[in-house]
Amino acid sequence: MSEAGSSHQAEEAVPLTELLTESSIRLDAHASGRDDAILQAGAALVEAGAVEPSYVDAMLARENTVSTYVGEGVAIPHGTLAGKGAVKHDAIVVLRFPDGVDWDGNDVRVAVGIAAKGNGHIALLSQLATVLLDADKAEALRNATTSEQVYALLASDEDDE
Amino acid sequence: MTTIDGSSIKKLIVACDAGMGSSVMLASTLKKQLAKTGVTVEHSPVASIPADADVVVTQAGLADRARGVVPNIPVVPFNLFLGDPAVTRIVKAIIDGTTIEV
Repeated sequence: MSEAGSSHQAEEAVPLTELLTESSIRLDAHASGRDDAILQAGAALVEAGAVEPSYVDAMLARENTVSTYVGEGVAIPHGTLAGKGAVKHDAIVVLRFPDGVDWDGNDVRVAVGIAAKGNGHIALLSQLATVLLDADKAEALRNATTSEQVYALLASDEDDE
Repeated sequence: MTTIDGSSIKKLIVACDAGMGSSVMLASTLKKQLAKTGVTVEHSPVASIPADADVVVTQAGLADRARGVVPNIPVVPFNLFLGDPAVTRIVKAIIDGTTIEV
């Protein structure tokens, strides 16, 4: 899988189910607000063994500097450059808030928490961008009730243009 | 105001604080949109924007930091990840080879 080893942004092939484990997909989460949602995403990353607890502070700090709301009811909370040292391995968590979370005035239904020190997560984020640019797929992500649906949406399909 | 000549752009950098999430997502979108132009699209932390970039796209809140890092490279600030008019303009200028002010 690493024939393109010359590119410095080459994507290390991390299987989707390893990057985003089944236990890191929480489809019935509830949060009292933005920071509570970030704390839950951070706790899920800690539980996944991906980050030191201090990373969660970096996630809150990042959010206070620049919002990670990306549109279509989705936010992608993650740490700062300074917090990168607290990352043990690349990982993604998906929290779905069926009741929504007030995220600086935006109605967030899905938080995709990110911890990364390498490029193993790029394919997944690239696919997430594709999902969010397609109104039907974005709605399917907001309404996902099984981890299979989440995996199907976030599995990268290399044949798309 | 800085003038950007879309036809002279060979390398576009999407910058965010950590180069971990937001910039990665936008870079992958722009890479697809600019695939046919041959323009290189990469993501980077603001603090380490490569000096050979021709244009930098970054969130509005980080634009001043980006300008401090690369004072001679035009910076295009955006507010929306999906469909920001400023990003649409620079993509169009690159594809059409036209000149815009940022």
